[in-house]
Amino acid sequence: MERVTADLAVQLGPLSLKNPILTASGTFGYGLEFTDFVDLACLGGICTKGLSLNPHAGNVPPRICETPAGMLNAIGLQNVGIEAFLTEKLPKLKEIGVTVIANVWGDLEEDYVTVVQALEGAEGLAAVELNISCPNVEKGGMLFGNSPGLTASLVARVRRATRRPLIVKLSPNAPDLVESARAARDAGADVLSLVNTFVGMAIDPETGRPLLSFGTGGLSGPAIKPLAVRMVYQVAKALPGVPLMGIGGISSLADVLEFLAAGATAVQIGTANFRDPGISGRLVRELETSCRERGVTPSSITGRALR
Amino acid sequence: MKSDHRAPLVRRRTFAPGLFSVTFHAPELARAVAPGQFVMLEVPERIRPYLRRAYSVADVEASRGEVEFLVRTIGPGTAALESLPEGGEAGLLGPLGNTFSIGDLPRGSRVAVVAGGIGVAPFPLLFRALAAARVAGDLFFGGRNVRELAIRDRFAGVVTGETVLSTDDGSLGERGFVTDVFARRVDAGARYARLYACGPMPMFAALAPIAAARGMPAEFSTEAAMGCGFGACLGCVIPATDKAFVVTCVEGPILAPERIRWNA
Repeated sequence: MERVTADLAVQLGPLSLKNPILTASGTFGYGLEFTDFVDLACLGGICTKGLSLNPHAGNVPPRICETPAGMLNAIGLQNVGIEAFLTEKLPKLKEIGVTVIANVWGDLEEDYVTVVQALEGAEGLAAVELNISCPNVEKGGMLFGNSPGLTASLVARVRRATRRPLIVKLSPNAPDLVESARAARDAGADVLSLVNTFVGMAIDPETGRPLLSFGTGGLSGPAIKPLAVRMVYQVAKALPGVPLMGIGGISSLADVLEFLAAGATAVQIGTANFRDPGISGRLVRELETSCRERGVTPSSITGRALR
Repeated sequence: MKSDHRAPLVRRRTFAPGLFSVTFHAPELARAVAPGQFVMLEVPERIRPYLRRAYSVADVEASRGEVEFLVRTIGPGTAALESLPEGGEAGLLGPLGNTFSIGDLPRGSRVAVVAGGIGVAPFPLLFRALAAARVAGDLFFGGRNVRELAIRDRFAGVVTGETVLSTDDGSLGERGFVTDVFARRVDAGARYARLYACGPMPMFAALAPIAAARGMPAEFSTEAAMGCGFGACLGCVIPATDKAFVVTCVEGPILAPERIRWNA
């Protein structure tokens, strides 16, 4: 007997996805690290490790430490650079049939624009996600995300440089997330991803020294989930009609449903990929079963908490 | 292929308080693993620790489908494993990482195996492979004191050469650091086709020049805090000589000392 599959397709502005389960940048490598665990083609999409124009070495170790119900990281955006991504990673992803979203970053506005332009001719990219929220680099990253003025200026320039759907990944460390979200939308963002990691810190009680070489790091995992849900809800309420991707500690189907109800149209699985590398594929199947049994679609769940 | 094996604990052996061996029934993993590889282990349904922990595979008994780990309790991850009841399940993600090289060693050759404390963990499986290859391996096993060496019982009948024990306080075997004991042996004329080592970073830093001065090829089983164990998080890097960093979990954990940037 043929299995009746529920339609999980979602639409985020100009971006059509086969389902609302994606993987978050920085927690899923370039996707290829996960092929033993997940059928990448079944996912709504993957967001690549943050790409810069040139290869980037990242921060000196120690780069990570465990915290209650989560972790701190200060990787510092280590990545292979745009050229290696386009020649070594993207063709393999394309062959597998993965929906690829390129997460990009730079030190300066100029760098973001250059990277986005370099990607413009590439085949097999569904969208670009601007990382203006990484807390672990000295320049760029979160500096853009924490100022609505800088956000607006950067997003407007990148908007002119690409015809692709443009996603902007916001920082929960911004003084006023709604203002940042509004600035990004008004400057031409099609979709907003929220949230990146929260700036945190851990100190060795024996030595009195920070556990990460960078000093501070980004907090992720279940510890931040209620904060992230609240932020998605807040932005969804303030800016109705802006498609949102919810991120923050998602580790179960219940978490997915929670973010959808808070106003997200899709979600990204992050830190959970480290401890449970098969989780993203499993959540697609669980969501499919749940929607079929309840006779609902993901889109019909989106924003329920707001109504 | 690496995968996540749900495996029941079949046996526990305690050598001293906080120093133990756990054996799981994981037939597929037992068939797939090679000396030097590791798994990311979780005791499920626990929010603390959140991340899995990396454990070198100590030994496998492929015919019985068993995989063994040697453990010293140091934090919440190892404590969770210590309190896991027999029959209780753990998630074993693996096999991960590269392997010790053995195949190029000629029959009848001699190698040195240097272990500091619980760094002895990956070596029963290495000795199994050395025995199969008819290679003699001398084990230099050092610790702070006799208690730290309680796990030596696990190596009775396993070591394919001589066993040399040492403690910092002289409470068992030769007194002094295992690196000094090893250096004295080599200075006295011992010749080794390869040096395998596992222990803390200062031990590696002391061994590297000893091996380099004698042109002795070496393989160090390194350790760094790992978030995932398969190259996704990039948390476990070590400063390198051939590029900025090596990613320990996929390019290691077995690294030649020449690749490690010691003064970083």
